[in-house]
Amino acid sequence: MVSLDSHGNSVVRVLRSQAPLTLVPARRVGPVALVHLVSSVTSPLGGDSLELTVEVGPGASLDLRGVAATLMLPGPTGLPSSSSVRFSVEGSVRYLPEPTVVTGRACHTAVVEAELDGHAELLLREVLVLGRVGETSGSLSTSVRATRCGKPVLHQQLVVGDAAVDSSPAGLAGKRVVGTSLMLDAVARESDGGEWWNVVPLAAGGSLATALGDDVVTVTRVLDAI
Amino acid sequence: MLTALILADSRFPGGGHVHSGGLEEAAARGLVVDEPSLESFLHGRLLTAGLLAAGFAAAAARGEDLDLLDAELDARTPSPAQREASRAQGRGMLRAARRAWPSARLAALPRDPHQPLVIGVLTGEPYEAALTCAYLAVSGPASAAVRLLGLDPFGVNAIVAALPVEDVAARACKELPALGSPALDLLAEAHVRREGVRLFGS
Repeated sequence: MVSLDSHGNSVVRVLRSQAPLTLVPARRVGPVALVHLVSSVTSPLGGDSLELTVEVGPGASLDLRGVAATLMLPGPTGLPSSSSVRFSVEGSVRYLPEPTVVTGRACHTAVVEAELDGHAELLLREVLVLGRVGETSGSLSTSVRATRCGKPVLHQQLVVGDAAVDSSPAGLAGKRVVGTSLMLDAVARESDGGEWWNVVPLAAGGSLATALGDDVVTVTRVLDAI
Repeated sequence: MLTALILADSRFPGGGHVHSGGLEEAAARGLVVDEPSLESFLHGRLLTAGLLAAGFAAAAARGEDLDLLDAELDARTPSPAQREASRAQGRGMLRAARRAWPSARLAALPRDPHQPLVIGVLTGEPYEAALTCAYLAVSGPASAAVRLLGLDPFGVNAIVAALPVEDVAARACKELPALGSPALDLLAEAHVRREGVRLFGS
């Protein structure tokens, strides 16, 4: 939980976490609080259930960054794994995890939900890699839902691991890396794009950038340039 | 049931024939060139955009709030080109429907409604609505492929007939899906940006 103090600094007031997902706050004072997400035990493995709740108060800003790529792996029991991240934002949040690799027999469900008030801002970056080199992806279902003052702004589910859809020009077009950047802010962006990327204005405000590619470097560069 | 048959008929004057559902752009890029690549395109389209549209048609047929459904479908359609294509087809269908099947619920549709909502209101039965919508999600691109690529109409028809349209319609009745299709969104936006002659509106 992050809020603004009387000097205009964003302060982490409450920080609770445990392995496998440890939150490490940066020791610094300033308008933007920085917290790193550290995967402190190999995770998610099949059977794991991870949850993270983030609250950012009016005027406060939080950068939540990953430090290493996440490797989704199967567990010993064949059970699926899941993760859920919930944001309640009255200030500003930038959520920038490192890429997530969906390994061969992984089976994971990831849910991200964000509720914003009228002036809140959110930047949400997600880069998925379907399988390690030469490996077919396991199955993954991701869902991102963002609402502003209770009204839906973006709701997108992506299901990977069905080879017939992943390879379809109307699915993921056989690309190994999918990157998205959701930008819910006051910046107006016109539709723009290239062969395998674009940025589009959403109906209820904000923009979504999408890039497909064969490697993380290309996709990340495209998203960084927007 | 007759309403569903009429809506799914390519001779229905709703203006659906000017939309290719991303097929024109996919063909222009050489992503769809023959029957196998068309089958792959249609399968992917059915299980993403088709399932999404069918879910909203079923929800509208169940009598759910049309303004809420409209906002939820907008949130699930990040590409402005896709939103415009859906609303243009809804508008065209509504124009014909006002004469054929006037009703209070039809009049309660939002301005320029998304096509799945119009289909849901007109059929009034969730599975029929979902089936109609799922079928239209692939039949339009399939006939566009015949026109654009000169594919064998019998071969293309056989591909459509073998697609799991009924399974998708049944799934669409169970939940309000939110399936995205990143590649279709990219194709739809690129189609709008493309200079030169285009045969289809989307």
